[in-house]
Amino acid sequence: MYIKGVGMTKFGAQQAPSQELIYEAVNEAVYDAECSLDDIDAIVISSIDSEKNGERQRLFPNVVASILRKKVPMLNPTAVCGGGGAAIWTANRLDYGTILVVGVEKLLTTTTMQTTDEIMMAAERIYEQAEGMNFPAENALVAQQYLLKYGATSDDLALVAYKNHQNAYNNPKARFYKKEVTLKQIKSSPVVASPLRLFDCSLSVNGAAAAIITKEKTDIEIAGSALCTDRLSAFESEDMTSWEASRKAAEDAYKQAGIGPKDISIAELHDAFTSVELISYEDLGFCNKGEAKNMIRKGITNIDGKQMYLL
Amino acid sequence: MGSKCIYCKGSIIKQKGSRLKVIGITKVTIPSPMHPIIPYNIILLEDEFGNRLPKKTMREFKIGDNYIEQKAKTDEAVSVVKIKYDIYEAIKESVELLNSFKFDKDDKILIKPSIIAAAYPYQTVNTNPDFLNALLILLLEYGIKKENIIVAEQALIGSNSIDSASKAGIIDVCKRHGIEFADISKGPFEAVEFDGYPFKIFKEALKRKLVNVPVMKTNFQIGISGAMENLSRLADEQTQRKMYYDGITKAIPKLARAINAFTIADASNGMQGQGPLSLGEPAFLNLVLSGKNAAALDKVFCNIAMLQAPFYVNASLPLKEIEVVGNEIDSLKYPIKAPVADETPHPDIKVIDGKACPACLNLMYGLTSRLVGLRGEQMSIVIGSMITEDVLKGKDRVIALGDCSIRKLQELKLDNIEKINEDMDHVEQLVLLKKLLTTKGVPKISSIDKVKSKMQMLLSKVVR
Repeated sequence: MYIKGVGMTKFGAQQAPSQELIYEAVNEAVYDAECSLDDIDAIVISSIDSEKNGERQRLFPNVVASILRKKVPMLNPTAVCGGGGAAIWTANRLDYGTILVVGVEKLLTTTTMQTTDEIMMAAERIYEQAEGMNFPAENALVAQQYLLKYGATSDDLALVAYKNHQNAYNNPKARFYKKEVTLKQIKSSPVVASPLRLFDCSLSVNGAAAAIITKEKTDIEIAGSALCTDRLSAFESEDMTSWEASRKAAEDAYKQAGIGPKDISIAELHDAFTSVELISYEDLGFCNKGEAKNMIRKGITNIDGKQMYLL
Repeated sequence: MGSKCIYCKGSIIKQKGSRLKVIGITKVTIPSPMHPIIPYNIILLEDEFGNRLPKKTMREFKIGDNYIEQKAKTDEAVSVVKIKYDIYEAIKESVELLNSFKFDKDDKILIKPSIIAAAYPYQTVNTNPDFLNALLILLLEYGIKKENIIVAEQALIGSNSIDSASKAGIIDVCKRHGIEFADISKGPFEAVEFDGYPFKIFKEALKRKLVNVPVMKTNFQIGISGAMENLSRLADEQTQRKMYYDGITKAIPKLARAINAFTIADASNGMQGQGPLSLGEPAFLNLVLSGKNAAALDKVFCNIAMLQAPFYVNASLPLKEIEVVGNEIDSLKYPIKAPVADETPHPDIKVIDGKACPACLNLMYGLTSRLVGLRGEQMSIVIGSMITEDVLKGKDRVIALGDCSIRKLQELKLDNIEKINEDMDHVEQLVLLKKLLTTKGVPKISSIDKVKSKMQMLLSKVVR
């Protein structure tokens, strides 16, 4: 399959209903693809089942059907943080000519306390939620194991946040567009769940993104797309400092594409927490275990880095 | 969950580590609804088999520390244990943390669950049948003979005990284990006096060792229905009515002090809001609380649920003198919905509760919830007998519901207040309440209203 067009809203605190966000992103994607909605044969949607954003929308395929006036197969694979990837993976395997993939989230709609609780619902109930394991706490325990095992430091985590905020500074769609964040600010930001500080944690935003993928050949081919699901709780993993699902999915995707990690020059990673990004460098094969700190220290993954560019 | 391994079809064996080491710590500084007190720590523990589990704590630990769960030092201690999917293990841990759980193989035991009304387990009105099942398994494992165990309870006044226990799933559990279920309301009872108060108590409860198994709930009349309140239904109906008439919160502590019961409280899913009946809502608590001091246990529960402890509970030991094992109270605290004393399901009707018995309480709930869709003039319903002129001052739209409040208002010479009798047909009661709600000014029932209500009642019988 090939990517024919993409669209995205600005990600921020805008309070437009999900329907409007979807409409804006899809409109942009259709325009970018130079196609019509009539060309769409199927739609894959990514959205979490948010209880607290005030919208009370549980059946997103039908929401999308109402907005776009489309009566085609629509699916909504649920994968929270991995929702966009899961939606593209699903679409890539459907036997349709042209597929719209759209993701929408509205997380910034209520108090931080409620949003923390909302996101916490993606964690296990009895061992995690009941023990106060919100997502910063969960990732803090993982980060701590990683730092202890490989000698990385909180300063390395700060470098990840700094790089990503520099990228956001230049991205008109980002919440922090043209908002400068210094390394000093990052390092002195309040602790959320030790060792993670405020800037180690991604912020909650609202927004939508869309892509149109097609069998018709374009300049961008989906050369490999793999999905692997791991156990719910990070502490259950045999090695807390590595995600086997990421490793397996990456191996599979590389194999499909007939390339290896060394061939990658641009990567976009899930970086809900800075520690996740470091661990992902290693799980995706960009460096050996324990060496991610050197990549970030040397600026290899900066936008002006010599070898690769990680978003 | 099946009892066989999904891969090899072999038996599933529980693996329980005994040596726990701290391998990770994080200090969390952001609150969430279930964890409002910050900062708190989460320690990551690992046992000798490599199993890991996180644990919230307010205490400070270092990586490498051993984690040891301390057993109780005093007999009055309360244990609080989280249920990790396995109620049996939680109950076992909860009682084994205490010194006061002492039973011999030949003991005769009466288990007193809380089964107040016919309701399904998910409604959390009654003790969870899975909780009772786990407790029975444990007692049988301790060697107590099944013929020496009875489960006994009576529903609230006005409700049928067997129907309630059946719907609650309790009868099924008893049958599964071949254990007798006794309907306390059938007696026999024995007259006893505790602290100058005359009670008639179910005889078997006086002859056997008592295991009190309440479900922990909010109660809009008395704050909570917990370990102490559950004991009140060991008394016959006459005593219960007297207890309510004299002030239930005065009588309960006398009973709780006199009855020697070991409490194993079901807080797997308790109740919050306008309990104790189905107007409350399930609260995810996921706890087992145990102890021989019912008042101390209730007090610990109130503290965990961040409820104001009612005075009859509060008058027990000061909280700081209660030894708590299993978990720290501060690490468990999160606010469940407190009951609001004067609320009814109807937005225009308030209740002035003179500590009414369950029959009038049910009646009030039933009538006001049937009229929810009908807006009217603000009014108050008086139930129960513990009423003074002061509480009625400045209220001109008041009606009395039930015999106790009617009798009390007559004693107070407040004869001009309209009344709805307990023994009237439900349809008549509803028609009259509807009329009073929608009448402007001082609510009055005319002769025509009475005729209308009778006609509607007769019509409803024909239609049925």
